[in-house]
Amino acid sequence: MSTKTIKIYVFKRFERFWHWAQAGLIVFMMLTGFEIHGAYAFFGFEKAVGYHTVAAWSLITLWVFAIFWHFTTGEWKQYIPTLEKVGAMMRYYLTGIFTNAPHPFRQTTLRKHNPLQRLAYLFFLLVISPVIWFSGWFYLFYGAWREWGVDKYLSLEWVAFFHTAGAFMVLIFFIAHIYLATAGHTPTSHIKAMLTGWEEVEEEESAATK
Amino acid sequence: MRKLFATVALLAAQALPCAWAATDPAPAPGPAPAAKPASKSTADHTKFKELQQAFKSGPEVTKACLACHTEAGKQITHTKHWTWEWMNPENKQVLGKKHVVNNFCTAVPSNYEFCTACHVGYGWKDANFDFKNETNVDCLVCHDTTGGYKKLPGLAGHPAYKEMEFPPKSGKMVKPADLAKVAQNVGPTSRATCGACHFLGGGGDAVKHGDLDTSLKNPGKYLDVHMDAKGLNFTCAACHATQGHNIPGSRYTPTAADKEAAHMRGKKDDTNAATCQSCHGQKPHKATGVRAKLNEHTDKLACQTCHIPQYARAQPTKMSWDWSTAGKLKDGKPFTVKDSGGHDAYDSKKGDFRYESHVIPEYVWLNGKVKYTLLGDPVNENGVTKINEFFGSPDDGASRIWPVKVFRGKQPYDLESKSLLVPHTAAGYGVRDDTAFWQNFQWEGALQAGAEAAGRPFGGKFGFVATEMTWPITHMVAPKEDALTCTQCHSKSGRLQNVKGIYLPGRDANPWLDLLGGLAALGTLLGVIAHGALRIYMNRKAG
Amino acid sequence: MLKFIGGVAAGVVLTGALGYGMADKLMFNETMSPFGVEETVARIQHNIQAAGNGWTLSGLRNPARAVQADGGNTLPVMMVEACSTKYSKPILNEDSVRFLSILMPCKISVYKKNDGKVYIGTMNAGLMGKMFGPLVGEVMGQVAADQKKFLEMDPKKPAPPMIVPKAGGEGGGSGGGGGSNC
Repeated sequence: MSTKTIKIYVFKRFERFWHWAQAGLIVFMMLTGFEIHGAYAFFGFEKAVGYHTVAAWSLITLWVFAIFWHFTTGEWKQYIPTLEKVGAMMRYYLTGIFTNAPHPFRQTTLRKHNPLQRLAYLFFLLVISPVIWFSGWFYLFYGAWREWGVDKYLSLEWVAFFHTAGAFMVLIFFIAHIYLATAGHTPTSHIKAMLTGWEEVEEEESAATK
Repeated sequence: MRKLFATVALLAAQALPCAWAATDPAPAPGPAPAAKPASKSTADHTKFKELQQAFKSGPEVTKACLACHTEAGKQITHTKHWTWEWMNPENKQVLGKKHVVNNFCTAVPSNYEFCTACHVGYGWKDANFDFKNETNVDCLVCHDTTGGYKKLPGLAGHPAYKEMEFPPKSGKMVKPADLAKVAQNVGPTSRATCGACHFLGGGGDAVKHGDLDTSLKNPGKYLDVHMDAKGLNFTCAACHATQGHNIPGSRYTPTAADKEAAHMRGKKDDTNAATCQSCHGQKPHKATGVRAKLNEHTDKLACQTCHIPQYARAQPTKMSWDWSTAGKLKDGKPFTVKDSGGHDAYDSKKGDFRYESHVIPEYVWLNGKVKYTLLGDPVNENGVTKINEFFGSPDDGASRIWPVKVFRGKQPYDLESKSLLVPHTAAGYGVRDDTAFWQNFQWEGALQAGAEAAGRPFGGKFGFVATEMTWPITHMVAPKEDALTCTQCHSKSGRLQNVKGIYLPGRDANPWLDLLGGLAALGTLLGVIAHGALRIYMNRKAG
Repeated sequence: MLKFIGGVAAGVVLTGALGYGMADKLMFNETMSPFGVEETVARIQHNIQAAGNGWTLSGLRNPARAVQADGGNTLPVMMVEACSTKYSKPILNEDSVRFLSILMPCKISVYKKNDGKVYIGTMNAGLMGKMFGPLVGEVMGQVAADQKKFLEMDPKKPAPPMIVPKAGGEGGGSGGGGGSNC
């Protein structure tokens, strides 16, 4: 395997702040959300609802900033899906990773996510997020349904169903995400990158793309 | 501080033979009893010539009252308090005390002289009572302020006019009412005057309602935040705002969901003035943040559901009554058995009872429609007969979840007609009556006499059927700090565990989604653990 | 070696944590009563009076009353207090454990919970006694055995009347209750 590595700057300061703030909020919302769902008692229902709501508004605020940031910096392009090398990535996770085969994807500042990541994040953005945000929005504004004229079409049971379904998807995403964070060049390289912004990558290839 | 701990409640309330109308003095309004507080009334009845006479009877007093209050008699004679009869316009059922059967003392018709101690009139001793005669109206029972006016069961609505032994053969003497004094001291109704009947319904203190008993004459804040004698000190009429002697708020047609704004002076509003919303409006919770969510509960919950966490918080209320065991005698004599708290557990006259305090209500959907099982209506021999059925559903937009007291019992029914029977229980004062159950303890004669008085057939064979009577809980509103907490409903085995038709977060979940989602998450977790373990293993092998 | 020590340390920490978490369940006991609050109290009171070994009732507290007097609500709770000089005397006579007088008199709490059911709360006198040496351990062991008898209730027997101490009794509600104060 390559003996030399170099460091490249992948995640900018706002991006890192966004990631960790979002991570904290999502974990906290899962914790409070599943309590509201009745899975366990920790904060108590009333506090759990209160915290969950505050966290939701915080996350919305964070997203407003993040969306603004993505569009002004052009970083949104990082999520454009590609099927190129998807097969190679899957083969890598299924076999190559065990034999220390070289990572098929060369990370650069302009292409910081591997093709599977792109697909996964796009899935999060286009499927999980709408499910959880729309259902959550109606859940939160249950009292305004009549005013909005939607009380005839909605039932709390189904709103809660989709919100819970979204929550399970987030939970699954979260488990896989944490694990795959250890599947970089070294087990900690992705995590370090998310903390410091600097990712270790193999030398010659990254040098070439630079 | 010691005093707070000093006594354990000596639960002294004694069940009376049957509702015993007795008024106690209204709580003294101020700390200085020496000087009479300035009255806001424009009339001092002690100065009225009409009232300065030696009244010999109640009707004589009424005649004097009506001399000035010319329309009062007419007004009263149109009320349920007078007619004991009322037709439900919804389903045309004829209700009222004269007609309904309950599972307490069951029914009035054969027992007029006794039961009419709680009639706002004089002389109703049989079916021939003259409902047109306004001088038969009893003004004093509601307007007494002295506490010296008592109507005794057995006297057909009259108070004692001479000293008499009461209850008969008890050795206790009751002094006659000083009618002139009572008449000269009339005033607005009070918790004591309304309570003289309504606190003692069903045969004694705290028997019937559970949320109305004599502890409300002088309640602490804990018991009722509005009637708190040292605080807001509401009278009954503060909420049951009465006009022309017509009192709003009746459980025959409860206002299950008041969707009106708070009543405002000058604005025409014919809706029930006795609801919570009539003062508190539709968004009663002023809080911000998560507590603001409370206002969003008003589309499904009655206010009472959260704000009356338990009823009978000052003294126990009767929860069940089994007539089928009544009539047992010891050495040929009736007897009573007390429970550990000193309340009747058995009475030869009535059967077995169970009392309970701090009762957690049951909860039901109620849209205000109620149907009674009246005499002649079929009973459910193998199950439970509902004396009054509360209707409601989560989807009709008119229902709210209400706290109720469900009073359970067993009472006689006719094996032939399969409908309820009513025993003749009590006779007039001092009357020897062989068919009265409370004198002879014989069912056949009592049921025959009861059926005759009610104009019903009786086949001669009877059994006992299980019955349930439902009472909306609406009094004894606790301070807001003691309202239910969220978790008390939003949990798997909470207060509303048996209420169907709503999705209640924390209680409900789609089991398939939970199973599928849970398995998927677990699968993912196991998958990444296996994947990681394999990586570590392969790495070691290679390294 | 390091792993072994680490393992032992982890085991100790885990046991400690488990013990800490379960201490309340070990030190105190909660059982459901088939009867109402008053009847449960009454049956316990009569069991105490019939238990022998010098047991007398020393009071009946109702802390819910104080909450009510303050304008608030709590579900019914009553504390039956009992005392036996046979057991209190040896402990009170031993200077090193005299502080245990704070556990006197012996208390049994009867209360209703939000599920509408009635529960009986007791202290695990046997286990607690063991923490204070052989003298206390033996006495408390006997107390625990007697306490078990206090809670035996035969539904076939009729409900006895609750024994209510006279109002204004000495000791703030822990008045006579039919027995001597000890």
